[in-house]
Amino acid sequence: MDTQWPRWEVFKQDTPAKPHQAVGSVHAADPQHALLTARNIFARRPQAISMWVVRAEDIFSWTKEELAENPPPEAAKQTEPLAYGFQPLTFCVFRKTSHKRSMTFVDYVGEVSASSPEDALKQAQQQFGDVEALAWWIVPTDRLAKSDPGSETVESWFAPATDKTYKQQQYYATIGSHVSKHKLGRETDDEE
Amino acid sequence: MPAKYGLPSDPDYSLRLAEFEARIGRGEKIEPGDWMPEEYRRQLIRMISQHAHSEVVGMLPEGAWINRAPTLKRKMILIAKVQDEAGHGQYLYHAAETLGVSREAMLEALLSGKAKYSSIFNYPTLTWADIGTIGWLVDGAAIKNQTMLAAGSYGPYSRAMVRICAEEAFHHKQGKEMVLFYARGSEKQRQMAQDAINRWWWPALMMMGPHDADSPNSEVLTRWGIKTKSNDTVRQEFINEHAPEILDAGLQVPDPDLHQDDKGNWVHGPINWDEFWQVVGGNGPMNKERLEARRKAHDEGAWVRSALETYAAKLQKATVAV
Repeated sequence: MDTQWPRWEVFKQDTPAKPHQAVGSVHAADPQHALLTARNIFARRPQAISMWVVRAEDIFSWTKEELAENPPPEAAKQTEPLAYGFQPLTFCVFRKTSHKRSMTFVDYVGEVSASSPEDALKQAQQQFGDVEALAWWIVPTDRLAKSDPGSETVESWFAPATDKTYKQQQYYATIGSHVSKHKLGRETDDEE
Repeated sequence: MPAKYGLPSDPDYSLRLAEFEARIGRGEKIEPGDWMPEEYRRQLIRMISQHAHSEVVGMLPEGAWINRAPTLKRKMILIAKVQDEAGHGQYLYHAAETLGVSREAMLEALLSGKAKYSSIFNYPTLTWADIGTIGWLVDGAAIKNQTMLAAGSYGPYSRAMVRICAEEAFHHKQGKEMVLFYARGSEKQRQMAQDAINRWWWPALMMMGPHDADSPNSEVLTRWGIKTKSNDTVRQEFINEHAPEILDAGLQVPDPDLHQDDKGNWVHGPINWDEFWQVVGGNGPMNKERLEARRKAHDEGAWVRSALETYAAKLQKATVAV
């Protein structure tokens, strides 16, 4: 039997002030399964208030390197003239702007209305070009599945991660001789 | 995402390799979609998938004690810890997948016995004190290694490591707390704690792998920032922290040659590498049982996967019908 299932990219929002960030991926059979699995994998501990998932194959991505070598075809091919009822699509735009540290992500920056993913990229470059992008992800908005923003769901999905103190290392901090007493120096990477 | 994996036979290989190494030299992370040498990709897939398998198999020795935990508090802690290991396996499979290998292929390699995982999980958990000792020593050794890997050059792997280290710190501390509690307890409890340390100390030291002089992959792994410290360096950090803590607790380290040198480093006696290679080669006390348990879990979960697929197909049909 197939155990692979489609791969879904997961976007986690930590606080209202932060954007949704691409934290990794899960395999799941359907959108709700993907959201639940994402919750169990990426928000057992860290703070979160919302999660989005999208099938990896629905993401159009370009790295800076790729754009330099193969610029996308000029101006989107609009297959149907507007007069015949062409409706532009809404795309969510995600951008990565730093490779300097490990905890840097592809962040949600906003939405654009466009006739194709290539057109959406062009508009994203114009609207969100204030900082150099090392990678762009363009996702048709209707392909994203989102966790329920209602306070009850937010509470039941995300509060247990921080409420269960026995799962936090701080709970054990004062036991025994403190590790720093024996340390000769240790390098740490940026914490989440 | 058209990934670009460079081969030495490519006409622009040396130019691109120089750019790639310069990026690593500047402390930049290599991200999916960036150019990288095929050998960098191969080494990462090898390491990350072994690491993922270790997390998955690592659930077994501890999971065996969930229904025998002495109190509800200890049981909840242990359940949370085992659930973490499952999550760590998934983070890592994902990180490997960004290099163009499928999770299914990796799982098949594990279940068929082709893939390697950390030998530490091929030792049995004989008493409840083993659970605390695994947290303190085995997870303690893992954290030293993972903190080093968190500083590595491949973005998805280093991010997985940062998350895992944060959670492993809980595993380490709950284990230490439990062992120290036993060390202050009854004569029987002290004996249990000492017995567990006696059995886990040496396998924990072997977790960092062979001595630097016998570690064939180290040079290229270090040059490309996959490993940022050598096996012996990480092992020394582990001993320097844990040996004095064990002694402070009134327990013994099972190494008659253990002593502190004039730089303050705790120096260990000879490691039994024959035992290490025996366990790596599949002849450890629990190798067979671990794989059988994984296969059984996989087979017994088949109905869940089948139900999820049936439901997803139904959803799909309903969407198309609309």
